[in-house]
Amino acid sequence: MNLRQLLVRLPHYLGASGSPRRLWWSPSFDTIFSVGSWRGQSSRSPAHWNQVVSEAEKIVGYPTSFMSLRCLLSDELSNIAMQVRKLVGTQHPLLTTARGLVHDSQNSLQLRGLVVLLISKAAGPSSGNASCQNYDMVSGIYSCQRSLAEITELIHTALLVHRGIVNLNELQSSDGPLKDMQFGNKIAILSGDFLLANACNGLALLQNTKVVELLASALMDLVQGVYRENSTSAKINSDLQPFTKEKTSDSMTFNLNSAPVVLHQEFLGRDLWIKQIREAQEKGRLDYGKLRERIKAGKGVTSAIDLCRYHGNKALEALESFPPSEARSALENIVFAVTRFS
Amino acid sequence: GRLRWEHWLRPGVWDQPEQHSKIPYFNLVKHLTSACPNVYSISRFHHTTPDSKTRSGEKYTDPFKLGWRDLKGLYEDIRKELLISTSELKEMSEYYFDGKGKAFRPIIVALMARACNIHHNNSRHVQASQRAIALIAEMIHTASLVHDDVIDDASSRRGKHTVNKIWGEKKAVLAGDLILSAASIALARIGNTTVISILTQVIEDLVRGEFLQLGSKENENERFAHYLEKTFKKTASLIANSCKAVSVLGCPDPVVHEIAYQYGKNIGIAFQLIDDVLDFTSCSDQMGKPTSADLKLGLATGPVLFACQQFPEMNAMIMRRFSLPGDVDRARQYVLQSDGVQQTTYLAQQYCHEAVREISKLRPSPERDALIQLSEIVLTRDK
Repeated sequence: MNLRQLLVRLPHYLGASGSPRRLWWSPSFDTIFSVGSWRGQSSRSPAHWNQVVSEAEKIVGYPTSFMSLRCLLSDELSNIAMQVRKLVGTQHPLLTTARGLVHDSQNSLQLRGLVVLLISKAAGPSSGNASCQNYDMVSGIYSCQRSLAEITELIHTALLVHRGIVNLNELQSSDGPLKDMQFGNKIAILSGDFLLANACNGLALLQNTKVVELLASALMDLVQGVYRENSTSAKINSDLQPFTKEKTSDSMTFNLNSAPVVLHQEFLGRDLWIKQIREAQEKGRLDYGKLRERIKAGKGVTSAIDLCRYHGNKALEALESFPPSEARSALENIVFAVTRFS
Repeated sequence: GRLRWEHWLRPGVWDQPEQHSKIPYFNLVKHLTSACPNVYSISRFHHTTPDSKTRSGEKYTDPFKLGWRDLKGLYEDIRKELLISTSELKEMSEYYFDGKGKAFRPIIVALMARACNIHHNNSRHVQASQRAIALIAEMIHTASLVHDDVIDDASSRRGKHTVNKIWGEKKAVLAGDLILSAASIALARIGNTTVISILTQVIEDLVRGEFLQLGSKENENERFAHYLEKTFKKTASLIANSCKAVSVLGCPDPVVHEIAYQYGKNIGIAFQLIDDVLDFTSCSDQMGKPTSADLKLGLATGPVLFACQQFPEMNAMIMRRFSLPGDVDRARQYVLQSDGVQQTTYLAQQYCHEAVREISKLRPSPERDALIQLSEIVLTRDK
């Protein structure tokens, strides 16, 4: 089975139907913060974003979605696909993660690999002794760099999968049978571990201890990041569990841990924020539309935009140390696309 | 008959999976054990032996004490690798590095390092990089335990509550990832790409071993091969490859690397086989975890597979993974009535003998002899 066939079949295996669900952190731009007061053709509209990404992909030589799923071609992993299939009909988050990985490819979820490739190309061929000289270069990118891009995606996907574990003692009857969640947890842990093991093997093959150290440190930082994110959202989220089921797009839910919301809360102070949440509740259900309006009226959104632009400028500054090239321009375009809000 | 046993102990046999199903295991074991009825009785000798002379002519002490000489501060050093800013995550990650574990793996690694160094050039010095392998092995092992406990929904380990029961499954999985990444950083800092390759193989084997455990085989002979392969991947691979890694760091001779690997592999398998026996023969106080744990997880280990030869009615229970009420107790009874325990122990003995045969090829030293003595301890331990 080649990659294309696998990808055609996967959504079916995963029981996907209807419109894809989006993960909160994906750069999909019909979220609450890109509609409403912003006028005109939003350059964060999907069409523009896709254009930026597909041009970038031409520069690096191939589409970069599904990079982390390529290891699914091993026999071993057809096992995982089958196991995940058993989760269809349950409410385990792993199913959402898996669907998201496949379905959101049109929004080029797997940006990290693409960015690694672009940086590789922008940096240009090595001069001097670098170990890369033993590797082939295609489209201006060494095969070891391509491998690194894939490893980056693997690590990221592994953590994504591990984030989908559920705490068994917090389950409610609406979540379905305990054994489904236990099984889902099992598969999520093993799949994540498998992806990490593949990443480690890939790193070992690069025969570069410094690179191993860097990526292992990155993983350590990522894990701590995930942990902190879970912790801060734990308090408020646990109160709101009954409300966080998907709604219609009119009152689409948003992540209470996202930057605008967190910053909004910081400006307000915790007590006022809790008050706003209570006011947005009707008959025990949270009205996200109402809460959204409150947030937009505050300073959280604008300071989040400022923060985003600050980081964007830092990234652009860093890019200046590369010689001008197509790859560098593509990276700049990505920064522009991500930081424009009007 | 004898030749067939040796087939399983040859290096590289794991690479030929198609061979597995061709060997009628149980007939072999039956034949051998009926020929040697006295092998069942293994003399129990206690952990602390009086000092006595060994083949090398030098006095030796308890192998654990000997190994610990190079491992002082092991747990403190591991905790230093866990540079974590959040206090709860740090607490979780350090939870099992409390100095109360057996540290079996680090001790083997430390002893092997010395044995190889002495063999190579009579050096009595253990390199920092070799000591680092001891830490890394223990960290990788612990990370896998943390994940296994979530997978198995285990409540206790080493006499205390598991990480998943105290902090929940989500955080436990992250803690395992953290320990693994810390181990990888330490591994990278050794600066040896061969050693990195050797130990990343372990990480892959651990995962594949868990996957093997999820699946099952219909055919009896396939089941046993499957069981041994899982045993290698989940337990022996880490020990074999850590031994190989320290030998690579200490000595350039590939013959020595292979000896170290074979010792580790054989003793690792023996260790797990005895662990599986103890799940039937010991009581929960001694083990620090409840017994019949394997049956309750639906796992058919050595004693069960052997018992099934005598009691074919166990087949149905094995296939449904002891999921019906009463299955666990019935299976346990069958095992205790059968010679499953003895046969598994005998098999463990064979692996130990192979380990000893290999390590005896090294130059005599107190550490080499300690490794030999360790194999005896593996067989006779009661927890």
